[in-house]
Amino acid sequence: MTVNESKGPQAPDASGAPRIMNMVQAINEALHLEMKRDERMVVLGEDVGRVGGVFRVTQGLWDEFGDDRVIDTPLSEGGILGTAIGMALYGLVPVPEIQFADFIFPGYDQIVSELAKMRWRSGGEYSAKMVVRTPVGGGIRGGLYHSQSPESLFIHVAGLKVVCPSNPHDAKGLLLAAIRDPDPVLFFEPKRIYRAARGEVPEGDYVVPLSKAKVVREVDVAQGGRAVTILAWGAMLYEAIAAADKAAEQGIACEIIDLRTLWPVDIDTIAASVKKTGRVIVVHEAPKTCGFGAELVALINETCFLSLEAPPVRVTGFDTPFPYTLEMDYLPLAHRILPAITETARY
Amino acid sequence: MSSLATASAEAGASGTGTSMVGEPRTDREAGRALYAHAARARLLSARMTFLQHAGRVAFHAACIGEEVAIAAAAMALRERDWFFPGHREWAGALVRGIPTAAYAHQAFGTAADAGKGHGAPDHPASRARHVVPASGLIGAHLVQAVGAAWAARMRKDDVVTLAMFGSSAAATGDFHNAVNFAGVFKAPCVLVSRASRGGAYKPDLADRAAAYGVACASVDGGDGLAVLALVREAVERAAAGKGATLVEVATERFTSLPEAWSAPELLSLGPAGADPLARLRAALARDGALDAVGHDALVAELRAEIDAAVEAAEGAARPPFASIFEDVYAEVPAHLRAQAEEASS
Repeated sequence: MTVNESKGPQAPDASGAPRIMNMVQAINEALHLEMKRDERMVVLGEDVGRVGGVFRVTQGLWDEFGDDRVIDTPLSEGGILGTAIGMALYGLVPVPEIQFADFIFPGYDQIVSELAKMRWRSGGEYSAKMVVRTPVGGGIRGGLYHSQSPESLFIHVAGLKVVCPSNPHDAKGLLLAAIRDPDPVLFFEPKRIYRAARGEVPEGDYVVPLSKAKVVREVDVAQGGRAVTILAWGAMLYEAIAAADKAAEQGIACEIIDLRTLWPVDIDTIAASVKKTGRVIVVHEAPKTCGFGAELVALINETCFLSLEAPPVRVTGFDTPFPYTLEMDYLPLAHRILPAITETARY
Repeated sequence: MSSLATASAEAGASGTGTSMVGEPRTDREAGRALYAHAARARLLSARMTFLQHAGRVAFHAACIGEEVAIAAAAMALRERDWFFPGHREWAGALVRGIPTAAYAHQAFGTAADAGKGHGAPDHPASRARHVVPASGLIGAHLVQAVGAAWAARMRKDDVVTLAMFGSSAAATGDFHNAVNFAGVFKAPCVLVSRASRGGAYKPDLADRAAAYGVACASVDGGDGLAVLALVREAVERAAAGKGATLVEVATERFTSLPEAWSAPELLSLGPAGADPLARLRAALARDGALDAVGHDALVAELRAEIDAAVEAAEGAARPPFASIFEDVYAEVPAHLRAQAEEASS
């Protein structure tokens, strides 16, 4: 069995050297680019202006675009999201920031009852397109209110799109695609790899299309041997890769798919892989029960049942709040993914 | 047929005519227009109440007794301004120019409803009329109205937004967010509270407005022309860059109706002087702005308009099955296409 690692885009700068950035820089570049391109775009949130955001993702925007378009708001997520909806109804393109995904719940009603339903309840007369950016996930010693992964709570709401990039190239391209998308998008930024994930980022304008997963490691089953598909996104993608490297030492090949857009999900790419390998593992930080892995397994059963050689497996956070001290025991890190790979391969 | 009602009905039926909101040139004209709007709302709300009791519509947010205040607040807006109604302020949407026929199609959820039957009755919306669809959640629209006003100011547009709500919404977090953000950002918006005298919860909005640095004014909702004048002043103040105003309109809802929709006393409810609609009519009669003949013609025309609208909507086709899946997203995504196909196969 052979494994083909997909190469990232090659993006030399003027001097010919690749432009290496981290996620924070790439997202910041996307925000700068789009604010220049689209004068309707505004950024609003707690400390997004003068301070440049709690993680400095919006740094420099206030200096360049001023008070009117980069707005420091009172501390109220419901106020931020509610006013952003009003702005969007009027025709602006708001990109509100919620400091941590854990803080989104005071504004959850405005997202679920208002933002997601505005187009539908007016029969298409009104829409409220916007991108809600928010850092997500654990592993930064953030404790139970700075570590959660609430993606499935938004995927379950009709009318929303949900994106979670894993690297700087995709973060920039997906964010530009999300801001230009006609529907509201929840853009979850995996904060554990904000600065740790570095890579080449092309200069200027490009988009990574929504609802297109990326096969980051491909296996050729014609070579024989047992193979396993792993579905992951955000920070956990790297744990999946690390576990797959270990599995390879035992002769098990893993095809790894970075979902990139969680909803609407690219089921075609997933199904093509699972039909090929017959074995699948879903990895996510969020609690297991009713996590997005549950929906993915259901979709795989609906589309690939006759190809399955083993029961689909979920390696996830536990059905508990997110622990402070034992956060590395809670997260589905490589050491928890590896046994799942070997058991699935041997089933 | 009264020319007043004709003008009003034409304004309602036309697409994007300049007579949309109607900006009457004199107080007499304003009074006559207000009476026509409010009488339509009274008759329509009574009709809808009877339809609901008969099980022919599932829901109706009656506004009988409050329709003069609601219509007056909506009339205070200019054509370019935006109206954010709560579910009980559908009468304001009609003032903005949504035709009675369109209201009825929305209420019955027909194929001709602009909202494709997605929403419950009393949630009409129109982009052309700058009427935002009401939320099912009390108070959620207040902060959105502030955001839209703020956006208008950013775009340097001479546009004011007006959100209306029952005073019970003043207990919500969204009310706090709305008034707080409006105060901080000096958003050009007007928040109009219907403070029912009979309500159990009676917030003192003047105290709250002061705390948020927002202007506040109160007015007797029984005096429609006073409501119109005060809300106009608040709109002008917002347009002049002086910030938001919280307007408190004291109202009373009549829940005891005559047995028949056609009963003349429907237009004069409660003890003498209690009904804002009858009070407005008396004032107009005193001024010679609306005589008995003109009034009867107006009412006959409004009844005919409502009869025709209800009849057409009740007999209209339901939206097609596929409409469930439309407008969830800008384009129907693959998973919804699959669900639609699976269900229709």
